[in-house]
Amino acid sequence: MRLVALVLCVVLAGDARAQSLPSEPISVANGRFVFGGEFFGTFGSEDPGFFDYNDYEYNALRNVRLSVSTEIRASRHLQALAEVRLEHGDELSAYAMFLRIRPWPDRRFDVQIGRVPPTFGAFGKTIYAYNNIVIGQPLAYQYLLSLRTTALPRTSDDLLRMRGRGWLSDFPIGDTSPDAGVPIMNTSRYDAGVQVHGVVRRIEWTGAVTAGSLSDPRLGDNNGRPQFAGRVIAHALPGLSLGVSAARGPWLDDSLDPALDGVAEASEFVQTAVALDAEVSHGPWLARAEWLRSSWSMPALGLPAIEAPVVARSLIVEGRYRLLPGLSLALRGDGLWFSDITGSGVMDTWEANVRRLEGALGYSITRNITAKFAVQRNRRDGGRVRHDTLLAGQLVYWF
Amino acid sequence: MAAVIALAAFAPARALARDASTQTAAGTGGIRGRLVLRRTAGTNERRPEVSDPGAGAPREPADRRRGVVYLEQAPRPAFDEREPSRASMDQRNERFVPHVLAVMVGTVVDFPNSDRTYHNVFSLSRAKRFDLGRYAAGKSKSVRMDRPGVVRVFCDIHSHMNAFVLVFAHPFFDVTEVDGRYELPNVPPGTYSVVGWHEGEARITSSVTVAAGAWAELDLPVP
Repeated sequence: MRLVALVLCVVLAGDARAQSLPSEPISVANGRFVFGGEFFGTFGSEDPGFFDYNDYEYNALRNVRLSVSTEIRASRHLQALAEVRLEHGDELSAYAMFLRIRPWPDRRFDVQIGRVPPTFGAFGKTIYAYNNIVIGQPLAYQYLLSLRTTALPRTSDDLLRMRGRGWLSDFPIGDTSPDAGVPIMNTSRYDAGVQVHGVVRRIEWTGAVTAGSLSDPRLGDNNGRPQFAGRVIAHALPGLSLGVSAARGPWLDDSLDPALDGVAEASEFVQTAVALDAEVSHGPWLARAEWLRSSWSMPALGLPAIEAPVVARSLIVEGRYRLLPGLSLALRGDGLWFSDITGSGVMDTWEANVRRLEGALGYSITRNITAKFAVQRNRRDGGRVRHDTLLAGQLVYWF
Repeated sequence: MAAVIALAAFAPARALARDASTQTAAGTGGIRGRLVLRRTAGTNERRPEVSDPGAGAPREPADRRRGVVYLEQAPRPAFDEREPSRASMDQRNERFVPHVLAVMVGTVVDFPNSDRTYHNVFSLSRAKRFDLGRYAAGKSKSVRMDRPGVVRVFCDIHSHMNAFVLVFAHPFFDVTEVDGRYELPNVPPGTYSVVGWHEGEARITSSVTVAAGAWAELDLPVP
């Protein structure tokens, strides 16, 4: 598999030099159909601590993805957008699929309906390799926590037992088979719902009502109540933008209702998140930062009880400096910090705190073919593997 | 207006032709005709950004009807040293204006930013690699084109922005009008290969003989 991907990468790079691959979107029927795409292959070292996994089986640092996006411009008022992905070489999925309605063509006000892009946060686009200044994704958007939407800890001891085990956690209530937990915000799939977006002078705002939650975006509803999310960005000055995001919605699956035995309903327990972000750029510099806080409420089912809601905080700081035309150096530092809970005679954070530092060197062979090399250092206060240093390379082609 | 100034000032052959109308300098002739495009280039669309919560601001697409016509090999005196000149490629409504610029080696090209947002002009072309970094409205940065060749220009922030700067070692070139018309005046008598170029995708070469005091007519149908 890896060999096939590597050969594909080399062939792509060679072909592109010969300009046989598109270098800009393919436009058909006078712009009514526009196609874009991204291909990347990422080859990283072993990750025994599961720091970069966004699923029990899939490592974000070992991935080959081909995605094709399309925009069908039915009229000035209506467009249909979709993105289809072939991930890890064999998983085909419709990542995004929505209608975009612009009631007044000359005003920047859109309504999007379907499987829509994330409303919350500034780093959702790092899922696209060409938008990511390093190779790994920010912990808040990828790192698997022990929390699961279909299984619950009975006591705080159950939760503490799973510290650093988000890649394969198990709890005694609900689905008791081990499975991967959820990240604070899951960017590996889009949520379904309605999104409204507008721009008024230097203020850009977005609101959305969707079926899932930040941690568990869904195509269909699984608990009978929607999530509400909003984001406002102020483009204060050229090169400076400031953003604030908030989201609140139930996060547990209603398959837990029988296990809750009438004490409560799964839909009563919510994930609530807020975030502040900033981006500044000038000359060869680009810097971004985001602070976010998320909490998950959950039922108290046994003693010692979980002092819900449990809270996670994250800080992401990244910067890029263009050394030469086509050559850039990037650095991202981020971390996850968790609230304390009390178990049987012990007080600890409900999840193991994690810190990550990643540096990357990016070289653009052509405008739309980039090679990146990264070193990533992870540290965790719990779990079987407490720290590791990973090396990764990535080749990205887009049009 | 700026685009007109840019084209007039930075395509020497065209500028001379305007003065001479249908005349050329003593002892020389000229070549004129049309670069005939059988199909127009795509409309330079934005990528389908499915990760955006809304569409971008409405914008005019780049004018991709113009091409460049030039002599493949020029007579020796054409390579004599000349005063370095300046050219301008503006950034306006998220596009480069003009979309195609033709200049001589040594020309300094200014890239003013006339938009409200930042732009980041760069090129990774062999003829000239540069990256001007991000700069705001009202600011301008410059690049000296010191080698002949095609310089593909992009914006690092807006992927739909692109343009061409064609750099020549001689003055016998012209950016065509939107209907394809071109004029190469003051060409010494002789037989030349004339090249028609469009958007880096189409290229046609044809031979023509120039006599003193006369215009040779040559249409170049791009396949």
